[in-house]
Amino acid sequence: MSSVRVADRLRSLLFRGRRPNWRVVAPGLVALYLGSGTFSVSTDQQAVVMRFGRVVESRVPAGVHWAWPAPIGQVFKLRVRETKRLAVGLNADWPTRSAQFLTGDRNILNIRLVVQYAINDPVAYLFRTADVTATIGTAAQAALVQAVSERHVDDLLTTEKVAVQQRIQTLAEASMARYDCGVSILGVVLDAIQAPDEVVEAFRLVASAREDSNRIVREAESYANGEVPVARGDAAKMGEEARGYNSQRVNEALGNAARFTAVANEYRKAPKETSTRLYLETMEEVLPKMEKTLVGVDGKAVDLQFIRIK
Amino acid sequence: MNRTSTRLLLMAAALVVLWGSVFTIAEAETGTVTLFGRPTRTTSDAGLHFKWPFESVLRFDRRLRIYDPGSSEFLTADKKNLVLGSAICWRIADPNRFLQTVGDASGAEMRLHDVVWATLAASLGRAELADLLSIEPGHAGIQKLADDVRVAASGETEQRFGVQLVDVQLKRVNFPDQNKDAVFARMRAERERIARQYRAEGEETAIKLRAGADRQRDELLAAAYRDAEKLKGDGDAQAARIYGEAYGKNPDFYKFLRTLESYKKILNDKTSIILSSDSELLKLLTQGKGDVIR
Repeated sequence: MSSVRVADRLRSLLFRGRRPNWRVVAPGLVALYLGSGTFSVSTDQQAVVMRFGRVVESRVPAGVHWAWPAPIGQVFKLRVRETKRLAVGLNADWPTRSAQFLTGDRNILNIRLVVQYAINDPVAYLFRTADVTATIGTAAQAALVQAVSERHVDDLLTTEKVAVQQRIQTLAEASMARYDCGVSILGVVLDAIQAPDEVVEAFRLVASAREDSNRIVREAESYANGEVPVARGDAAKMGEEARGYNSQRVNEALGNAARFTAVANEYRKAPKETSTRLYLETMEEVLPKMEKTLVGVDGKAVDLQFIRIK
Repeated sequence: MNRTSTRLLLMAAALVVLWGSVFTIAEAETGTVTLFGRPTRTTSDAGLHFKWPFESVLRFDRRLRIYDPGSSEFLTADKKNLVLGSAICWRIADPNRFLQTVGDASGAEMRLHDVVWATLAASLGRAELADLLSIEPGHAGIQKLADDVRVAASGETEQRFGVQLVDVQLKRVNFPDQNKDAVFARMRAERERIARQYRAEGEETAIKLRAGADRQRDELLAAAYRDAEKLKGDGDAQAARIYGEAYGKNPDFYKFLRTLESYKKILNDKTSIILSSDSELLKLLTQGKGDVIR
């Protein structure tokens, strides 16, 4: 069939002469209208279905669904699994003054807070507040003002960040519950927190002083760690030497005593001969080295010339 | 007119009447049906409703709105200037009164601004700076001030304007610009003090660590010396006892032998000796053997 013939067939079906064939056209229009009510919800979405301005389905899950088309019905699709982010405070296009917050000890800090939130009640999200983002931003910023105003500046800059974030979240959640805007706060992060430009140098000096202080302490620790083990080594050495000396003395004594006792036992068997022998042995050993002068009984030198002549 | 045109005309008229007799109220809307300007009934029920075609409907948005009136300067009870920025959260509570007194949202916001500003000024005039900014637990706090303002102002706004004051939030609390130089000077002085303190504390810890190490070292060495000397003395004592036991049994022989030993050590090539021919060693040489062998 050519397209011309299809068009002819269609025309003859829809028109009767010059007037529309209502018996075909009217049900066709109704079917088209009703068919346009089909909609699909993707897996990360939930839909809210309205009829005459009233919510009839508050949480339509993923899939293909049907609802009355406009003007009777209306469908809102919301990304309920999406984590949304909202920044509060310090921002490139904000004047810095609006990012200044006062601490409990009356210091000024520049702070940027990031709020992470998700839709937990689609109907409330759509219909309880005129501007959800502004509502969350207001609650978060007021919570930030309160949380910062009860803290020491040094706690905020160093150790207590997590506790402050927790506090901000608690306060902001309380506000959100009052407003019932269908959003749950997943977390808040103190994204940037710093001293204003006018005093940032002074804060840096504190940081470097803390570094210096740590360095001095580390040096002292390393001195201590060097000194004590060396002393312990020296002490051990002293102990070893003393033990060595002790055993040397004792063993020497045992050896000498044993030798002496052995000789003494021999001596006791023949005292005279032994003593003579020992005496003479010693003399033999000692006398050759020395310069000797022999003197007679009367004090005159003894001439031993005759010995040489022989 | 033929019959077809009459039918069409009738159908059109019926449609107009039907169209004029139904109205819808959306979620979070309040509708007031008025008859020539006079309210006849009010409904907050979302959905399809009916009315006479000659009645008209006014719709009010019941959603929560946030109004930010900007920042302004206030004085605390202890004469400290503070710049406060608030956010006013409100919604329409009574549409009729709202319509009669303020008309629309911007009118309401103007009145809310006036009421909240006046209440805030009064509340802050009774509070000291330390009530707002403090590290002491249990101080009143900024949210308490905001809450007081809400409580004090909400009755007036509701009764006079039909507006529910849901919340007053203080989004900004700051010192005025003209005071900031003084604040920054104080902050700098504070930082310098803290920096000095850090350094001094570091020195303190370091000195303690070094002194502790020195003490430990000296103690270790002293104890080791004590033990070593004791051990040496013990060795000496044992040696003395051993010698004593051995020599004590043969004192004369010991004396003899020890004397001979000493000779070996004392006498060397630098020693000159004058020997008497009469001596035990040389007797034989000078006097012949007779006396030696008895």
